[in-house]
Amino acid sequence: MPIDETVPSNISRPITRRALLAAVPAALAAGGCHSTGSNPVTVRYWNGFTGPDGRTMLRLVKRFNERNPDVNILMQRMDWSTYYNKLFVAGQGGRTPEMFVLQTLAIPRFARARFIRPIDDLVASPQTVDVSDLDANVWEALHINGQHFGLPLDVWPMGLYYNKKLFLEAGITDSSGSPRPPQTRDEFLDTARRLTRPETPHRPGQWGYTFTYFESNLYTVLRQFGGEFFTPDSSRCILSSPQNEEALQFCVDLISKYHVAPSPQNFDSWIGFRQGKVGMAFEGIYMLADLQKQKDLEFGGAPVPLLGTHAAVWGGSHNLCLRAGLSGRELEAAWRFMRYLSDNSLDWAEGGQVPVRRSLRNTTRFKGMEVQSQFAREIPIVNYLPRLPFIFEFQTEFTTAIEKALRGTETPRVALATAQARLNKIIERDREASVAS
Amino acid sequence: MTTATSKTRSGAWSGYLFVLPYLLLFTVFLLAPLAYGFSLSFYRRELLSVVPPKLIGLANYSEALHDPYFWKALWATLRFVALCVPFTMLTALSLALGLNGLKGRLQTVLRAAVFVPTVLTISVAGILWRWFYNGEFGLFNAYLHYINIKPPWLTSTGMAMVSIALMTLWWTVGGPTVVLLAGLHNIPPQYMEAAEMDGAVGYRRFRYITLPLLKPVLLFVMVLNIIGSFQVFGQTFMITRGGPEMSTRSLVQYIYETAFNNYRMGYASALSWLLFLVIATFSAAQFRLMRER
Repeated sequence: MPIDETVPSNISRPITRRALLAAVPAALAAGGCHSTGSNPVTVRYWNGFTGPDGRTMLRLVKRFNERNPDVNILMQRMDWSTYYNKLFVAGQGGRTPEMFVLQTLAIPRFARARFIRPIDDLVASPQTVDVSDLDANVWEALHINGQHFGLPLDVWPMGLYYNKKLFLEAGITDSSGSPRPPQTRDEFLDTARRLTRPETPHRPGQWGYTFTYFESNLYTVLRQFGGEFFTPDSSRCILSSPQNEEALQFCVDLISKYHVAPSPQNFDSWIGFRQGKVGMAFEGIYMLADLQKQKDLEFGGAPVPLLGTHAAVWGGSHNLCLRAGLSGRELEAAWRFMRYLSDNSLDWAEGGQVPVRRSLRNTTRFKGMEVQSQFAREIPIVNYLPRLPFIFEFQTEFTTAIEKALRGTETPRVALATAQARLNKIIERDREASVAS
Repeated sequence: MTTATSKTRSGAWSGYLFVLPYLLLFTVFLLAPLAYGFSLSFYRRELLSVVPPKLIGLANYSEALHDPYFWKALWATLRFVALCVPFTMLTALSLALGLNGLKGRLQTVLRAAVFVPTVLTISVAGILWRWFYNGEFGLFNAYLHYINIKPPWLTSTGMAMVSIALMTLWWTVGGPTVVLLAGLHNIPPQYMEAAEMDGAVGYRRFRYITLPLLKPVLLFVMVLNIIGSFQVFGQTFMITRGGPEMSTRSLVQYIYETAFNNYRMGYASALSWLLFLVIATFSAAQFRLMRER
């Protein structure tokens, strides 16, 4: 855009208000330059990987761009806490990026809003991804009304982290003298008791176990006791069931009856584990990078022990999704990039993730990743959060109920019944919103 | 303005032009959304809904009045206002009086020191204080450990809001202090001299000279402080996310979650207008009280 660079001769003349007023629109107009189009097809790619995982993803993007000069993947990262709002608002305005990452829990609402393109036709095409390489529960979690709404990239099962040093000190070892993580409820309680030590004036206290993130910890235990959350058609919440009450009571008992876990009243749980004050904690694989940085902590990873009657753990996945209506060159480029990420998800795993493809998990490279490979054993029993468009409201009610029970503000029965009543009201409201009149 | 000359008329004309950009922005970004938000509050408008928006009259307002979370959030907000406003006003006034008594460089340096935290964004201040308050390895408890106290800064439902208010005091007291200090500077010294000659010193001088003359500034600062406190969001969102047990979830946070997590735009608009009503009532009452005295 040509810009007149002539210097006015009467530069010393004071600028009048009117001259200034006339200048503003001209300056604004001058700013409106536009760039010319480029040859490679651009695929905008949004995700919430703002931590170390973002750097891993950026390396993958750069490598793909180098090897595919006809495609330009333009990645934009934003914090998960505001990511979904921005993505949803972009969708409302018809500006959804061509490709984006959704956690499994967010799939139903974005699918309901018709922002995601199902990928079944792409999977059936010659340029396919072998979905039989995925675990059935992981692939099924993306299945809504006969269609799949994304390609899973990883899976993060909840696992047991334990402090090896504290285990050895308490003599909790196997025949070879190595720390022995518990596998059953009895072993768990026994281990937790032996690891718990009251505080004395000379020695800080120590806890056998601690609840870290309420939702994931309790979802794991409740699912293990066999309790359901909703009827199969999601038409009613059945959270307040004897199984769920029993499971929640078991968790409360760890604090108030067995005294092996601190009350959430005054304890920063995960930090407690990192400081070596806690023997065991259930957390996701994403905490691994955090722990690996800490050189003075000897920790191990193992599957969560069976505390109830059913093998189950909370978990989630990052899924690669395409914009609804995507077609032509953009679709081809985005799908090529999706396949590339899936094929190279072992590189992604290095950043503290578990790749979703079985064939990659069977490689010696993955088996060398000690904690990841332990947690990966749980993938077939991963239980995703219920499939609900109102998932955030569910999380609020569920977490509030747990918090009240664990803090002793309400009994498990009352807390669960209150949450159930509120959730049933939300279902009622959602039903009205989901049935076109 | 009946005797306006042509010169002042043309001045007014360009004056209008100068206000025009602001007026445009004000209309587009404030007035229009306000009007839209008001009309939205009478609709059932949910972004996830496949049903078109539906006019439902006052149903959103009536839902709010029966919503325990609304009352809980309002109570949390009122607690914050009650904790924050008096302490901020008293501290700001004390600091301003203290600073006013100082001379030269010392006053400048201390004034800057009091004002510095205000410059921080809430994300920075929030992350900082979340660490200060951390029960296990936070700054405060690291020192309090020596005298065997371990306050549950953020983990007790009773204490969390007090901690948030304390942090807010540190973060925001600079603004009101500087404004009050400017107000003190504006009190003509003749009054003080006259009062001194009449024998009024110390508290009496403060009570009968300083305070009445500072009243308009005090009112201004207090109204702004109350409005700001009712709109509390950043501190609680950054430090506690509204917990424990929603004891620090403010109305603005509840509105934010209703609108942007749950996509219930109509209901969130109604909640916003209820908050507006509460703030307007408090501000009006305050103006009236201060005017009467």
